[in-house]
Amino acid sequence: MNWKQMVLLVGLVIVACLYLLPLWTAITTAFKTSAEVASTGPLSFPKNPTLEPFREALSSLKTPYINSVLMTTGGVVGSVFLGSICGYVFSKVRFKHDAIVFLFLAVGAFIPYQSVLVPLYITAAKLRMFGTIQGLILVHIAYGIPMCAILFRNFYADVPDAIINQAKVDGAGVWTIYWRILLPVTLLATLIVVIFQFTCIWNEFLFGLVLGGGENQAMPVTVALNNLKGTFAAQWNVQMSGALLVALPVLLVYTFLGKYLIHGYMAGAVKG
Amino acid sequence: MRKLVLLPFFLILGLAFYFIYIAVGWNALVSVSQWSGLRVSYAFSGFEHYTELFDDPVFWTSLKNTFLLFLLIPICMGLGLLLAILLDRSVRGEKVFRNLYLLPFALSFVVTATLWAWMYSPSTGVANSILRLLGLGSLAGMWHTTKDSVMWSILLALIWQFSGYTMMIFLAGIRSVPEDQVWAAAVDGASTSQLYARVIVPQLGPSFLTSFVVLVLFSLKAFDFIWVLTSGGPGTASHTLPVMMYRVTFEQTEFAYGAAVSVVLLAVVLAIVVPYLYLSYRRK
Repeated sequence: MNWKQMVLLVGLVIVACLYLLPLWTAITTAFKTSAEVASTGPLSFPKNPTLEPFREALSSLKTPYINSVLMTTGGVVGSVFLGSICGYVFSKVRFKHDAIVFLFLAVGAFIPYQSVLVPLYITAAKLRMFGTIQGLILVHIAYGIPMCAILFRNFYADVPDAIINQAKVDGAGVWTIYWRILLPVTLLATLIVVIFQFTCIWNEFLFGLVLGGGENQAMPVTVALNNLKGTFAAQWNVQMSGALLVALPVLLVYTFLGKYLIHGYMAGAVKG
Repeated sequence: MRKLVLLPFFLILGLAFYFIYIAVGWNALVSVSQWSGLRVSYAFSGFEHYTELFDDPVFWTSLKNTFLLFLLIPICMGLGLLLAILLDRSVRGEKVFRNLYLLPFALSFVVTATLWAWMYSPSTGVANSILRLLGLGSLAGMWHTTKDSVMWSILLALIWQFSGYTMMIFLAGIRSVPEDQVWAAAVDGASTSQLYARVIVPQLGPSFLTSFVVLVLFSLKAFDFIWVLTSGGPGTASHTLPVMMYRVTFEQTEFAYGAAVSVVLLAVVLAIVVPYLYLSYRRK
């Protein structure tokens, strides 16, 4: 390694340290007692690591955590399955004016949710879906479909038409081809979209804030974390442990399945 | 017959379109109604809520802040491109560095805003601690809790969260430049900086476009991070259009006026998204 490479490496390490600062201070602070937070620097390692802040954060986050798990599971399963069907039809079946219809669907992945919030709020109240997990799942499915359809359409475009056509010759119907041929050979694509949607829905805030209702209703954990800053105003150790608890599922996914998550990010932004 | 086979697909499409287009249309209807407070009213009010916008200083503050967030575009692009080139040159640890830089992007805005509230904490936060450590204690300040610095504090944190993402996009772009061109440039005796300036960066058009669109859309729609960090405050100093819409609608219960704000927001977003999608998918 020559000196240029050394300089480069040192530079990259410094940048990495800067990027990790907020996480590092969150981790060290989360394990400190309130007294230690006040008396030591924010970057110092905790002298007597304690789990007390986590216990306190969990007392407020437990129910919302379960809400988020249920909401995310339902939202992911629904949006990925329905989005996959859309992606299949747009890429392999085709129908009249499909390009323009696809464009209209794809737009839905980018609209600001503020522009549908008032109608959603009214509808949720009318259907008695306000503050219910089912209501949030429905919303996440509906607004997840466009992005899932875009992703699947791009992934399915890579499946050779020859396979599909051969199956047609063999007499397989549209849905048999989808279920028996397309899905089994694109499991990786499904995994990528599942992971992508998982992080999106788990991290989501606005729908939960407006439609989730209170803690004993369907409030997701992101909203509950935001509320911690009122309940535990100056207790940074509790807030940091809460933030880590909320980040945990995504951090796990990032650590063990990061490759696929990154693939999803790229596919979601770059045209297929 | 064929249409009947596709019925399940069209039902799904119907569900999505209902939530997109019926909801957007309904919202537009609310924006020209007299609905104020908790009493529902669809009586036509003309476009008074739109003209009201122009006289509302909060609207102009929000617009100004949105433009300020546009600074994310050149900064994150520049930083992302630089990091991508550095990683492209690095001999080892590329994956580790890449994953570390991208990590903030994966986290929820609620999580990152909570982390940055602590980073900016006046007495014991990291930002002021570092300034004091460097002997710049006089610069230590209130960061996101005063009017003058709040938007810059938000901007700094968002650069942290988004530059890893633009790095990812540029790195992928650099890697897709055909190797024979890189070799040819090397054979011709091009220096490293010439190689990037003349051969690689000019081919990164798609990466620039993608980062641009992603960052513009984010700046326009910025809500979660700001809401959790500052709630749009102090006062209205860190309002953006989405923050303003939320406040007006759900705190002041001016439903019609809030809807008008969101229609303006939607119009701006569509002006960017529709051409982008059209260009992306037209040939397929």
